[in-house]
Amino acid sequence: MAQRRELMKGNIDSLLLCLLAQRPMYGYQIIKELERKSEGYFKFKEGTLYPALHRLEAAGLVQGKWQMLPSGRQRKYYQIMEKGSAVLARERAQWQDFINAMRLIISPESA
Amino acid sequence: MASSLSHYLESVEESLRLDPSAKGEVIKELETHITDRLEELKESGLSEEEAAATCVKLLGSAKQLARQMYEAYSQGSWRQALLASMPHLLFGLAFALNWWQASIWLLLVLVFILGVALYGWGHGKPTWLFPWLGYSLLPVVVAGLFLLYLPRGWSWLAILIYIPLALRLLYTIAVQTIKRDWLYSSLMFFQVPIIIGWFIVVGHKERFAELNLERLSDFAPWIGLSFLALAATVAAFIRLRQRWLKITVLIVSGLMTLTLVVYQASSGLSLPAFWILISAMFGLFLTPALLERKIKHSRRQPKRRGGFLCQR
Repeated sequence: MAQRRELMKGNIDSLLLCLLAQRPMYGYQIIKELERKSEGYFKFKEGTLYPALHRLEAAGLVQGKWQMLPSGRQRKYYQIMEKGSAVLARERAQWQDFINAMRLIISPESA
Repeated sequence: MASSLSHYLESVEESLRLDPSAKGEVIKELETHITDRLEELKESGLSEEEAAATCVKLLGSAKQLARQMYEAYSQGSWRQALLASMPHLLFGLAFALNWWQASIWLLLVLVFILGVALYGWGHGKPTWLFPWLGYSLLPVVVAGLFLLYLPRGWSWLAILIYIPLALRLLYTIAVQTIKRDWLYSSLMFFQVPIIIGWFIVVGHKERFAELNLERLSDFAPWIGLSFLALAATVAAFIRLRQRWLKITVLIVSGLMTLTLVVYQASSGLSLPAFWILISAMFGLFLTPALLERKIKHSRRQPKRRGGFLCQR
């Protein structure tokens, strides 16, 4: 579990950019979506999500905007920016290379 | 019940070292998150109290959240680093290139620094402002020192009127800065022990407020170098992300620059004077931290009575 948390900590920016590349989302929605898509694999202290989102925002990779809901409540939606898409494309390519290389070594056929 | 969540948000707010608008936005965002999470937990059958406790547990440590949030914003750009180190650079160049002898140049620099400081103060007090603010307050201190040497009778006027007013101004600005973050107050007064050190070194032994221009000329390159060291320190301070590294850089650089002052002026500065300067440096560095603690403590009591979720 600790190892999983460490893995996630190192890749949280990529995970967030991947999700936000699909559509703009707010913090709580991101947590639920991450959990759903990873079938419960990615779970983390919810408080750590917001510093990560704000770090991406400060770096100009995403942009947060407050939106008023019909219920009168407000939510901050994050959307990916051009710079964020470029970073995501690079990280996707790196991950693809890494996964391919790992598969070549780890899979039983390679033995 | 919800007091645990209210306490959690207060704890985050107290530990957050961001400008008031950014701080308000973070708290508002956490509030919306908590509202969503509470609704879901209560729908799953938990009582209000259980839902609040689970919500706090899922959020994790308030202090850690505040620290991570600080680190998200704490690293300034290279442009901000250059802007923050500019007043030290200006003074460094003034001495290194002997421009200090042209009093009109020094006057123009001081007016420029005051203008930039006023602009920054009126535009949300960005991080780069504080070194400018520190220099813009120097004439206030220096004028007070010179007023003490007015003809007999007039110096009492300075002591009774000018000095209390000047101290009041310095205290107000320091408190306003500390409310944002005590470290900015330390950054603001960072150059003061170095300036006092050089002032002692080049001053007349008998008449403290009078500078020995010949000695000033001899030491000008070293004075310039010490200001350039301060400029480099401030640039590093702005670029670093972790708070403990920022503090370390200020302390180490302050000590090294003071050592440079003493080393170059071994004939003019005694060991006790060196220790007084070191104490002044630590005093200027730590007093803002203690004042911040006091300010927070005095605010805490009335605030606890009306937390966000208690009002719901």
